[in-house]
Amino acid sequence: MKVLIIGSGGREHAIAKLVRRSSLNPKIFVVMDYRNPGLEREAVETGGKWFVASTTSVGKVLEIANELSPDLIVIGPEEPQFAGVSDALREKGFTVFGASMRCAEIEKSKVFARTVMWKYNIDGRLYFKAFRDVEEARKFIEFAGDVVIKPARQAGGKGVKVLKDTQAYLSKDRSEVKRSYVDKLFTEMSSYRDIDYKIIVEQRVEGVEYTAMVITDGDYVLSLPLIQDHPHAFEYDIGPETGGMGSIQGPGWVLPFITFDEYRKTIEIVSKVLKALYMETKEPYIGAFAGQMMLTGVWGPTVIEFYSRFGDPEISNLVPIVESDFLEILDRAAEKRLAGVKLEINEDVVTIVKAIAPAGYPDDKKLASNHTIYVDENRIRELSCEVLYASVELGSNNMMYTKGSRAFEIVCSGKDYEEAYRKSENAVQFVESLDGWPLFYRRDIGSRELLEDRIRVAKRVREVYMARASNGLLGKVLIWLPGEGVIENPLIGFVR
Amino acid sequence: MLSIYAFDELWNLANTVRYGLMALQHRGLQNYVVCSTGVDVECVEGSDIDVAKSASGHVAIASIHNYENEKTFTIQRSNEYSVVIVAERPWRRIDDFALDLVNMLKTSRNRVEAFTNALSNLQRDSEDVVPSLMVLTKDKEVFVWRSHNGFSPIALGSYGFDMAIAASESVAIDILGGDLKKFLKPGEGIYISRHMLKTFLVNQADAYNGLCLFEFLYLSRHDAIINNVSVYEFRKALGYDLGEYLDKEVDVVVGVPETALPYAIGFSSRVGKPFEVAFVATGGRRRSMLASNPFEKIVAIHLKMNPIRSSLEGKKVAIVDDSMVTGSTIKTVSQILRFRVGVREIHLFIASPPLIRSCPYNVMKLDMQNLLAANLSKELAKSYLEVDSLHWLSIEDVDRVARMFGLRFCGRCLGVNVIGGEEK
Repeated sequence: MKVLIIGSGGREHAIAKLVRRSSLNPKIFVVMDYRNPGLEREAVETGGKWFVASTTSVGKVLEIANELSPDLIVIGPEEPQFAGVSDALREKGFTVFGASMRCAEIEKSKVFARTVMWKYNIDGRLYFKAFRDVEEARKFIEFAGDVVIKPARQAGGKGVKVLKDTQAYLSKDRSEVKRSYVDKLFTEMSSYRDIDYKIIVEQRVEGVEYTAMVITDGDYVLSLPLIQDHPHAFEYDIGPETGGMGSIQGPGWVLPFITFDEYRKTIEIVSKVLKALYMETKEPYIGAFAGQMMLTGVWGPTVIEFYSRFGDPEISNLVPIVESDFLEILDRAAEKRLAGVKLEINEDVVTIVKAIAPAGYPDDKKLASNHTIYVDENRIRELSCEVLYASVELGSNNMMYTKGSRAFEIVCSGKDYEEAYRKSENAVQFVESLDGWPLFYRRDIGSRELLEDRIRVAKRVREVYMARASNGLLGKVLIWLPGEGVIENPLIGFVR
Repeated sequence: MLSIYAFDELWNLANTVRYGLMALQHRGLQNYVVCSTGVDVECVEGSDIDVAKSASGHVAIASIHNYENEKTFTIQRSNEYSVVIVAERPWRRIDDFALDLVNMLKTSRNRVEAFTNALSNLQRDSEDVVPSLMVLTKDKEVFVWRSHNGFSPIALGSYGFDMAIAASESVAIDILGGDLKKFLKPGEGIYISRHMLKTFLVNQADAYNGLCLFEFLYLSRHDAIINNVSVYEFRKALGYDLGEYLDKEVDVVVGVPETALPYAIGFSSRVGKPFEVAFVATGGRRRSMLASNPFEKIVAIHLKMNPIRSSLEGKKVAIVDDSMVTGSTIKTVSQILRFRVGVREIHLFIASPPLIRSCPYNVMKLDMQNLLAANLSKELAKSYLEVDSLHWLSIEDVDRVARMFGLRFCGRCLGVNVIGGEEK
């Protein structure tokens, strides 16, 4: 079976590894933006081919697909979806796993996603206000309180500013930062022509984050095990937001800090959003869909944002545990024959993924690029871990160069977190910078210490949301402004 | 001490640093120094934190201190490179160290190695105990290092995606709306720069003596967390154990303000007698125990001791205090209770063992000749203080509670080396 994967990074490498095990005898073909040595190898070893081309160029991708006539095309990242690559391929009769441009709007536009949740009254929705105009945003932000400011368009997992404003004495300083940030974000977002709203201001919530991924053919929803990503750049959840510095999974379908009830509720929310999306677009959602969730005191399972694709690095956690024929599942989804399919996983192991990035990531891509880097894959395999190649490019001299984002993802599994953690800590040592440029990764991911902290936080918010549920207050935030009455608008701040 | 690193340059930390220092100021120390980087490292010193406006950048280190003749911070420059260091307490070799460090940093690409080498280069002499340090370089890098001796804690926290905050007391992180993340181990450091945050360990032969017991007994706020232990709960537990020593009938239990309240609450729950508020303080919080000038000390005591007569008059009172140094606070209290309020009996309970040695590490400035327990017999002390009975917790009591919480303390001022077991 000829499978064409569109995309260049660690997520696509994980997909390739999962697909490769299929009994359908896959030949893997890849269209990638740069020469990713991992993807290149998967293609060559399965008798397929690789192409370097812009993955967002509809014409280029179509041209390659026409040349190859693949049986299935899997679109990894969101940008080709936004650009209409899936739609163009489907129009030409290809079998495609990947959301259409209209369905992918749920990731591209955070305003659309939130609006859908409010319109269809779906649990886990947060208050928000969106802005097209910088003046209007400036005026609003003057009085905004405990909020999160985000680019209204998906911008590679960056640009989110979480401004906790629960101390009135620091409110004015934070207000100052909010104002400056709104200006900065408007300038940055002005280059995106494919979206009308530029920024979105949302109610801030606290709790533990987790990702709920599903595969769907527009009708049937196949849920995958929960995974937790770690977005902060540095250890102990400190530092700027990244695309994800690593992730943990297991044991089984939930995480040690999420209950089965919460998992069920989460999948219910995700499924309702998919239904609402169909009502809005009248197009079946074919592909991977994910809710970036947070267990909060306001709602219990709460939606932070959606992905119209597999999470990266979340998908990497699946590599050691999937027992079903993953290619068959993707193929059946693409052909709208997913009903009744079950995903078998190894429930007896947990998995830890650690990303290794060059210093400069995530804020200074230039600084983080063009450094020679090496991975001793054999030593990592000896530890029964896998290496996924992400933001690294093979140069003409056969050396690997960093591309400015997370260079490698190391995937390890074990019978428990202790074992998986030990392996992953050993394995990361075999990635080395050849030009002396510093690399970093998060030692704390998968550690007992961090896990215990997550359990503690989850327990605390669980008590809050359960008490709120029994008082009929789930999702509600009431504010009384003397003289103005009781309103529901948690976006209002101390500074008025 | 306090370090704040905002990863986004949009931040101006002036107010944030000011409120962070206010959270630490309760220790009775009033003077501040705030250092940030513009073209170069710059520091501003003063005594009124309300007007501190110096940290106009997005990176700052700061501390509060009261040491007029001893150095707790320094700036060193060498060939257009500079560092500023603040120390947790006076350190006579701070300038030498800073000079060594600035020379190492200006030539070294491996920043952490340069810092650890500078620390390792210190020629040790028996008198010198290197304090915990915070360093800011001209290149907007911050080093935070907890001394091997580890007398006082250093907590690491964060604010959203925006800031790393390190503080010598967890409450500063709370007050800034941050989340507490971890406590540094003795010898452990953190390096923070625009694109890196790294923890490291400096190996040295110095033995870890344990935390200064007075961090828990007296110095920290009730709302502080140290090594994941609530100071408030620890104080209540000591007070509870102290209840064991009650052998007379009392009507009420009071804590001598304000540090002693949790001890009194613990004591009251053990003996089943009501806890009452006995005194109200006037003006800001003053730490009478730490005042070096005797007149200042008595002013501080008098200002915080206006009694609530109705809760005490004609009653047999159990007074609980956290510790007793010179006894002058208790002497004043007993005088007020006897002469101004008219209590029937005063039974004094101290939630620590007798202080009999001065601090060899200069953490607590205790002069041997002023220590009541080192100079007076128990009977004589009772008479001097005009109390009907006097009880101290034993070292074994504190040891038991410390082990229960997984803590280890230096006990030099109590005449032993270590109290408690290994740390959790």
